[in-house]
Amino acid sequence: MSQQVAIQAEHIVKNYGDFRAVDDLTFEVYAGEVFAMLGPNGSGKTTTMRMILDILKPDAGRIAVLGGPLNDAAKDRIGYLPEERGLYRNVRVLEMMVYLATLKGVPRAEAERRSLAILERLELSEYARKKVNELSKGMQQKIQFAVTVLHQPDLIIVDEPFSGLDPVNTLALKDLLMEFRAGGGTVVMSTHQMWQVEEMCDRLLMIHRGRQQLYGPVDDIRKRYALHAIIVEGQGDWAKLPGVQRVELTENGRRRALLHLQDAATPDEVLAAITAAPDMTIERFELAVPSLNDIFIRVVEEHR
Amino acid sequence: MSRHMWQVFLYELKRNVRRKGFLFATFGIPLIGYALFFGYQFITNLNDRGAPSSPALEILQSSQFQGITKAGYVDLSGHFADPGDLSRLLIPYADEASAQAALQAGSIDVYYVIAPDFLETGDVALYMPQFTLTKATDWPIRQLVLRRLASGLDRDTYARLLNPVQLREINLQRDATGATETNFDADFAIVYVFALALMLSVFITNGYLMQTVIEEKETRLIEVLISGMRPTHLLAGKILALGLLGLAQIVVWVAAILLLARLAAGSAAPALAVLANFALPPTTLIVLLLYFVFGYLFFAAAYGIVSAVSSSMQEGPQLAVIFTLPAVIPLYFLPVFISAPDGPLAVALSLIPVTAPLSMVMRVSLIAVPAWQIVLSLALLAVIDGFLIWLAGRVFRVGTLLAGKTPKLRDLPKLVRG
Repeated sequence: MSQQVAIQAEHIVKNYGDFRAVDDLTFEVYAGEVFAMLGPNGSGKTTTMRMILDILKPDAGRIAVLGGPLNDAAKDRIGYLPEERGLYRNVRVLEMMVYLATLKGVPRAEAERRSLAILERLELSEYARKKVNELSKGMQQKIQFAVTVLHQPDLIIVDEPFSGLDPVNTLALKDLLMEFRAGGGTVVMSTHQMWQVEEMCDRLLMIHRGRQQLYGPVDDIRKRYALHAIIVEGQGDWAKLPGVQRVELTENGRRRALLHLQDAATPDEVLAAITAAPDMTIERFELAVPSLNDIFIRVVEEHR
Repeated sequence: MSRHMWQVFLYELKRNVRRKGFLFATFGIPLIGYALFFGYQFITNLNDRGAPSSPALEILQSSQFQGITKAGYVDLSGHFADPGDLSRLLIPYADEASAQAALQAGSIDVYYVIAPDFLETGDVALYMPQFTLTKATDWPIRQLVLRRLASGLDRDTYARLLNPVQLREINLQRDATGATETNFDADFAIVYVFALALMLSVFITNGYLMQTVIEEKETRLIEVLISGMRPTHLLAGKILALGLLGLAQIVVWVAAILLLARLAAGSAAPALAVLANFALPPTTLIVLLLYFVFGYLFFAAAYGIVSAVSSSMQEGPQLAVIFTLPAVIPLYFLPVFISAPDGPLAVALSLIPVTAPLSMVMRVSLIAVPAWQIVLSLALLAVIDGFLIWLAGRVFRVGTLLAGKTPKLRDLPKLVRG
């Protein structure tokens, strides 16, 4: 692989007593990409993240982060946002941010400058000297994310970064995340919101019961689960078209239809046939690629 | 010291020194102590100024007497017919019937009946309208009897009869020259104050240690912190910061006590007058310091373990009792320590690590403890400290991640293995 690798996990295993939380996972995260970790609750995502961060040691397997086993210097180049999160309640926002940034090796004055700048970006300047417990949950969450990137890490690992946020704050956070990525940073994130994965992530790893279920580029996976079918909207007798095996009317028989194709037929041929037919009009034509949400549910159902 | 440990140390120092609870304990407790002391002295002075000079009346004004303003008595023995200068208080009646009538009329609060064979038996009956604790006293009749039996004695002899001996104890064990007087009350006070100061400070600062760890667990901030540093560095930075605060607290308290002792030098309060002569020898001070440090580390590691495995601020202190309860055992044996500071119990308790800090502090403030005992006790304590700190580091790593559930006893070996 020509791409630089930020994280390399090989056959990692973690047991909690008799329970195997992570079972022989192998994957790579490339530098500069947004990598999604998906899976139902309790599937082993957080345990995997903790092993990458060296908070937990794998029982078997090997993990290399930023070019080798995680050492103290490399830890300063990582940012982590855990799932259920909080801050010291009785401490002022700016003080809290500066402390956490200096722990990552940022000089004090610089940490303060960066904190104030990011607070302004997040429209939270006026709260810099307020105590954390005077802030709303959404505000606290934005500050926690700010802390994650304050030391300008090369890699951030964010566990459910958008959970509990309203749409406006979600957008603000997403902008920060994409900005971080545009600056060359690598993002590993877990989420339950599949449309965000489709929108933001390059590749994904889906885990169920500690085992790998899906792994690879998001588009490839969607295509792999694609039906040999097309979705059309418009007027006409779809069943007459050459290459169409069967018509499935969706959405209570309204104008939208799912056309299952014969093995030899291609979508291009069908499109050409539609445009050539004088009694047919078309308003929408697309490949029947399922959403990640559908794939997610299907994979989980299959392994139930 | 690693960079992270140093940063945690500085931050926790800054954060905890501003705690209202810490500031109150460190400065408020001595201030309250001063206020109580000077308030007490002021009131005592006021009372002294208004006090009558006659010893008899002083006794009459004794607080034990306040329940009765007027008492009657029937003397069947024939020795105490005349109340003398007690007539304002004690009214003689010829028989029980007239005394009872006076009681019912409300002109007296109670009446006594002195038995015919009083001189042989000392029998006196007290009649009161209903049982009242403050009225159930023999003081009026005791004054009458003492005055009658001691009539003809001079004032000094009378005073000696009432309080025959003023004992002064010279403890040769404490000071071989015999130059140091000891006074049970003063010794008791000094030992108690030092032991209490040590334990209070250790418990207060380690309580904060537990609070900060549990807060980090509850908010999951601990994961952010230990994703960037070793858990042992985090714990060590906290322990050092709070230890320093504890030490500062003890220094403030001891300074306050010594200052109070100097202020009390001219005072009439006897316990404090002794305190004024009390000076800590430098070697004792060093021993106190060493026991603070090693004792603090013992409880810091213990609290570290407890906070790593507890899931809430309600649960932590309950589990900590496992360590704190045995630690204060020496306080229950305080009288034994004072009467036999070199006895087998005191020596044993000062060697067992969990009770050593308190026991040894009590002993060294009373006697010159043999050096080998101090060395052995400190060595044992240091070994246990080392073990507990190691254990805390292990448990901390895994225990801190177990949010919301407390591990069972059988899970502990697993926690240690990480």
